[in-house]
Amino acid sequence: MDPGRNYQANHPLTEQEKKQQQFRLFQESLPKVSQLAFQMLLNEIVPQAMAVENELNDLNSLEQTGDRTSAVEGERKGEGEAENIPINDLSLQEKEVSSYNTNLKIQPSHKLIMELAELEDEEKYNNILKRLRNIGFEMGKKMCEMLVFSNNPNLHFKEMDLLLIMKFICRDVWKQLYEKPIDNLKTNHRGTFYLIDYNYKPIQAFSLSEEAPAKELKMVEPFLEIPLGLIKGVLASLGYSPEEVICISSFVDKPADDRPKYGFPKGVSFHVQVNMKPK
Amino acid sequence: MSRSRSSTTTQSRSLKVTGEEIWKNKTEKINTELFALTYGALVAQLFEDYDNDYSLINERLFSMGYNIGVRLIEDFLARTALPRCEDMVRTSEVISKCAFKIFLNITPHVTNWSNNKDSFSLIIEDNPLSEFVELPMNAKKQIWYSNVLCGVLKGALEMVQLDCDVWFVADILKGDPQTELKIKLNKILKDEIPIGDD
Repeated sequence: MDPGRNYQANHPLTEQEKKQQQFRLFQESLPKVSQLAFQMLLNEIVPQAMAVENELNDLNSLEQTGDRTSAVEGERKGEGEAENIPINDLSLQEKEVSSYNTNLKIQPSHKLIMELAELEDEEKYNNILKRLRNIGFEMGKKMCEMLVFSNNPNLHFKEMDLLLIMKFICRDVWKQLYEKPIDNLKTNHRGTFYLIDYNYKPIQAFSLSEEAPAKELKMVEPFLEIPLGLIKGVLASLGYSPEEVICISSFVDKPADDRPKYGFPKGVSFHVQVNMKPK
Repeated sequence: MSRSRSSTTTQSRSLKVTGEEIWKNKTEKINTELFALTYGALVAQLFEDYDNDYSLINERLFSMGYNIGVRLIEDFLARTALPRCEDMVRTSEVISKCAFKIFLNITPHVTNWSNNKDSFSLIIEDNPLSEFVELPMNAKKQIWYSNVLCGVLKGALEMVQLDCDVWFVADILKGDPQTELKIKLNKILKDEIPIGDD
C-alpha cells in the first residue's frame, strides 16, 4: 500500500536517506498551526510597519508642541467628539473597562499599503523597510537555531562553505516558511548569489492589472523585505556578519516554458553578495 | 424541553467534528514554533519602535489583529459553510470548536457566562503565540502579549454583524493561573437594506 514502505523492504536505505526520513518524520510530529494564519500574520507586518511610522511621527510632532501624554489625551477627545459622544458623561473608569478597544482609530491595511507605495519622503520609506528587515533578521536567526537543533541532515558543520549554506537557505529555510524550495540558485563562486523564486508565496494572492504598471509593483516591493532580512539573519547566525552581506531584491520575468502560469505574474530574485570569509 | 437540549448537544458535537475534520483534511499546516518565533520577532520590533510604551504596543497589536480578522472570516466561512449563529451560546461554540481549532489547532474552554448570556470567557491553554515566551519584568504588568487575538476576534465578529468588545483579563505570561479572554456583545448590527428597497 504505502510506496515508501515497499521501497524500504526491497532496498535498504542508505545512511543519508535514513537521516532524511527521520528528519521528515520529526518535522511532521511537531505541533502545527494553520498555514493561512501564519501567512496572514506575515503579510500584515508590512502595513503595520507603515502604521507604526505614522504613529511615531505623530507622537514626535506632539512632543515638540507640548507634553506628550496630555497631547495624546487631547487627540482621543478629538476623536470622541467626531463621533458625537459627550466625553464628560462617561466616567473615566467606565471608559477604561467597557471601551478598552473602541478608542482606537484603526486604519485598514490596504490603505496603509497604498500610502506606503506613494510615500515620497525617502527617509520614512527607508525607516519602514529597515523595520521589516529587522523583523526578518530576527526570524532568520531564530529559525536557523531551530533547524540546527532538529538534527537536520542537510546541515553539516564540517567544511560548510558558503555554497552549502546558500543551498541550506534555498532548500530548508524556504521550505519551512513557504512550503517550497527556491526555484533557482545561481552563483559566480566568488560570493555572489542569485536566489530566484518564480512563485514567491506571500504575494501569490496579489493581483496586478495586465500591464503590471510600475506603481503596482512598487506596492508589492515592501513584501520582499522580510526575506531579505531573513537571509541575512541565517547568514549571521552561521558566522557571516550582517555588515559584510548585501542583499537586494528585484522582480524577474517568469521563464517561458510550459510550467503552469498562475498567481502573481512576476518572479522574485534575491541577490546576495558576501564580502568576507567566515570567522 | 429534553428534545431541545438533546438537539443542542448533537449540534455542538457536530461542530466539534466539523472543526476536527477541516483541520485534519483541508488545512495546510505549518510548524507552531515558526509561527511563535515570527510573532515574537514582530513584538520585539514593536518594543523597540515604541520605546517600551506598552499601551501603544497593545493597541498596535490589536489593530493588526483587527485587520487580519476582517479578512480571515472570509476564509473561515468558505471553509466551514456554517450559517449565521442564532445566539451568543452558539457563537461561542463556533469560535472555540471550529475557529480556534482550524487556525491554531486548540480548543479553548468556554466559561463565565453573564446572566443575560451576552458575555463569556475563553480559557486558552497552550497558546501557540506565547510558546517559549518570557516577558521582561517591567513589561509584565502592562503588556498583553497575545493581544492580536483580541483584534482578530473583534474584526471577524464585526464582519458577521456582531459588535463586540474583546479583551484579555488574565494571561499566564503575567503570572496568572490561566489565560482568559473575554468577549462581550455590545449590539447586533442591523443588516443594511438599500435605500428605497423595502
